Amino acid sequence: MKCAIACLPLMLAASPALAHGDDKPRHGGQVVEVGDTIFELVRAKGGVSLYVMEDGDEVPASGMSGKLVVTTGAKKTEIALTPAARNQFVAKGVVVAPGSKVGVLLIDRQTQARQTATFVIR
Amino acid sequence: MAKRTTLIWSTVLSAGLSIPTMVDAHGIWFAQRAKQIAIIYGIGGDDLEAVKRQPNMESVQAWDAELNPIRAQLRTAGPVVLVDTDAPPTIVSAVLQNGTWSKLPDGEFVKKAKDEVPNSVKSETTIKYATMIKGPLAKPVPLIPAQTLQIVPVGTLPDKLGTPMTYRVFFKGKPVAGATIINDMVNDPDAAEIATGPDGAVTLPVRNQGLNVLRAVYVSPSDQPAKIDRYEHTATLSFTLPHAPEK
Repeated sequence: MKCAIACLPLMLAASPALAHGDDKPRHGGQVVEVGDTIFELVRAKGGVSLYVMEDGDEVPASGMSGKLVVTTGAKKTEIALTPAARNQFVAKGVVVAPGSKVGVLLIDRQTQARQTATFVIR
Repeated sequence: MAKRTTLIWSTVLSAGLSIPTMVDAHGIWFAQRAKQIAIIYGIGGDDLEAVKRQPNMESVQAWDAELNPIRAQLRTAGPVVLVDTDAPPTIVSAVLQNGTWSKLPDGEFVKKAKDEVPNSVKSETTIKYATMIKGPLAKPVPLIPAQTLQIVPVGTLPDKLGTPMTYRVFFKGKPVAGATIINDMVNDPDAAEIATGPDGAVTLPVRNQGLNVLRAVYVSPSDQPAKIDRYEHTATLSFTLPHAPEK
């Protein structure tokens, strides 16, 4: 693809925040809101967990498949998420460095509806 | 406020020639439906039949913020055509080959070339293009080869509606003069069109604190005069300004 004329940078604001539920971290992680969905990413010694709430309700992880797309510098890695208890997804053994960008893709197994979110790890 | 409005419209009028609406170009654009990315076919409040047209949709593409390609495909969900991507997308685009149409003397259009309609007064092949910026972007908006006609924002999209924004319209990768733009295909489809200047640019105030769908139309000459008189290219650019957090 060619660059648009003059290659002027274009930066868009992140997706709008709109808190229909409790947007405070419940598990000590980093929170991103997309519409009425709240994603919380928790980095721990054993790996990464993702918790998902929608309109104040837990989203059952068992009904979803998902993955993380982690970009650290020029390196891009896709990591499968495994459904765990309630609204928790896990990626065991995964380490995400601060400054990385983490894209989240969740797919409802029944409807095929997709949800996305993007974290910039602090 | 009145002074600001005057400034904005001075900017608009300095950027291009305002002309009466000459086309009633339906188009395709991207919009959010139940959190999914949908391709809409229509004009104004008319969200028309997209599933029927899905076989003629092509070049469905997506990129991430670094402009790496992401796999994208269409999915029919009831009466809606959705775009599924394999990662969070930043830019999504698609093309609809909308067929060849001939206008009869009574004003009716038929889906045939003029060699099949001897009394046609105009025959054209219509192609619809759509690009969505879903953001956030780390690089400039690219020219997408499949988007023969493309509206590209120049510079940073603002946070607030009413802010003047310059767009440049490209045809086959080059800025094109004389493409006609409206600022809001969904909520103001009958607005007077603004023609792009020699540099392909036009400046308009961002209209909505929400979904914005700009439309550009450009007519190019026929390369098969026995069948059609012209090609009509219709491109949209959609993006969304964020609303304030709920209090």
